[in-house]
Amino acid sequence: MTATVSLQRASLRYGDILGLSPTTFELPEGGGITGLLGPNGAGKSTLIQLLSGLLPPSGGEVKVFGEAPFRNPAVLARTGLVPEGDRFPVGLRGHAWLRMMGELSGLTGQELQKAMASALAAVGMEVNGKKLFSEMSKGMRQRMRLGQALLHEPELLILDEPFNGMDPESRLQLMEMLRQQALAGRRILVSSHILGEVAQLTDRILLLFRGRLLAEGSVAEIRELLDRHPVELRISADSAQAVARWAVEHDELVALRMEESGAVLAVRNPRSFLPKLQEAVLSGALPLRSLDPIDLNLDAVFQFLTKDHA
Amino acid sequence: MPIYAPSLPPRPALDEGLPPALVIARFDIRRVLKQRVGRFFGFMFVGSLLVQLATLYVRHLLKTQSAFGGVREFANQVFTQGPEFHAGILTMGGWLTTLLWFQVALVGGGLVARDSLYRIRPLMYAHPVRPLDYLLGKGLFAVGLPFVILLPFAILPWGMSMLIAGNNGPISAWAPLYLLPSALLISVLMGAVTLGASSLASSPRAGFGWVLGISLGTSALGGLLMGLLHESAWMAISPQALVRAWPALLCRVSEPPLEWIPTLIGTAFHLVLWTYLAARRTRPSEAVL
Repeated sequence: MTATVSLQRASLRYGDILGLSPTTFELPEGGGITGLLGPNGAGKSTLIQLLSGLLPPSGGEVKVFGEAPFRNPAVLARTGLVPEGDRFPVGLRGHAWLRMMGELSGLTGQELQKAMASALAAVGMEVNGKKLFSEMSKGMRQRMRLGQALLHEPELLILDEPFNGMDPESRLQLMEMLRQQALAGRRILVSSHILGEVAQLTDRILLLFRGRLLAEGSVAEIRELLDRHPVELRISADSAQAVARWAVEHDELVALRMEESGAVLAVRNPRSFLPKLQEAVLSGALPLRSLDPIDLNLDAVFQFLTKDHA
Repeated sequence: MPIYAPSLPPRPALDEGLPPALVIARFDIRRVLKQRVGRFFGFMFVGSLLVQLATLYVRHLLKTQSAFGGVREFANQVFTQGPEFHAGILTMGGWLTTLLWFQVALVGGGLVARDSLYRIRPLMYAHPVRPLDYLLGKGLFAVGLPFVILLPFAILPWGMSMLIAGNNGPISAWAPLYLLPSALLISVLMGAVTLGASSLASSPRAGFGWVLGISLGTSALGGLLMGLLHESAWMAISPQALVRAWPALLCRVSEPPLEWIPTLIGTAFHLVLWTYLAARRTRPSEAVL
């Protein structure tokens, strides 16, 4: 069976900066949703740029529908992109924007009218589609963005952080629309930095971290992997010895380094370790002054884990 | 047992639409027509054209009506004659070109900058649109806007002159042969500067500043170099001076503000520089999502 998307050691460099390390994965043919998960700066947008034909890979091979997507009209005509962001020019109406995007896809006349009506209906914007973007709610604007991606009936739909800043109701509505599109036979790739969001949509996840594809699998597998990843925490306290004494009693501790005003702990499974730390501080067992994750990227991993946990 | 095989709706025909460059240019034209600033400049240009036509008619009356015989000598001294008059049709003593610079700066300054600000370009490139299509669409608008404005100035006074006085009118029967290429060269030059300046800007307002800054800054620099080096050819670094020079050269004014060689070199320099910058700044590698 041919894959809709296939990457063979595909990488991308922005000058000296490595945006995406050599990455290999496939998305199967047919409808379904795949989550692209990773903290900010993990390389999600870079990967999306490769898949949507905006940039060529610096190395390796990217194939969408069996062809290289970069500047390839045959592939772009079968792909729909919903980029990140929520900014529209002042004074622009939804249907005018939709019309231009349809025309750029090569639609015209009756075909364009039909496609616009069908896309607006698919995203529930038949009534509000003619409004100015400035008069629409964030959820409506996001639905219009999805509508423009559906105009030319693409088989592959790519969404970059579509739930950012949306209220819970709009988020649920958008998720439902995506499920319907997947049921209709579209292959959908959704990027997000929040595990909980992706977990509500799909069980198939690609995990990107620091420009590398860390893992590919189910939500449960990814959660387990993230829990195993050690996080370094700098704990400042009145007594460094007290911190060390308390820390060595816990299984999550991987390494301990003493400092003048505290200790640096490398811990696995921060989701079980941090509540214990909190409890110890509240009970007065640990004289903690401050807690800092040392590695900022790991801090981001930690952040989305705690968001998910919440 | 039947197997449910989900299938997508039939794909619409995608090959019969307008070329992407025309779609992009048309979208910008529609946007300008809805803007208040477009209406304001429309009023200003129509007013200027009416003044031009009225002046032409007064000239005709002064030349043909015996009642004005007493002031004819004086009028001949006041009004420019021959090639100078022809060249002035497209510049109106600098008023028309200055107004045009303001207009292209206000309207064209946001041409590329708006797409950068609102991240529209990556979305366009995710459609079957090449960077060349994008640049052509924007260039078409940037060059077309001043040309469409200059076109009535190049045609209507000539048409009126031919109508009221035929070959004996104040404007030569061959004038469109000089005026239309002049209008085109002015438009191409303004379009290239606008496109390049707008691609450097991060917002339409900054684009307006860039266009005016380039236009005024290079004029100031050209004036400074001309004063220091006592060589008028240095003014060719100013697009403003080049815009004034082309009608004068093509209409064969006896003392044009710039000679042919500096005008050609200056125009080529600006076209290459600003087109190159615009092409570089609108490449997909710049289209970071």
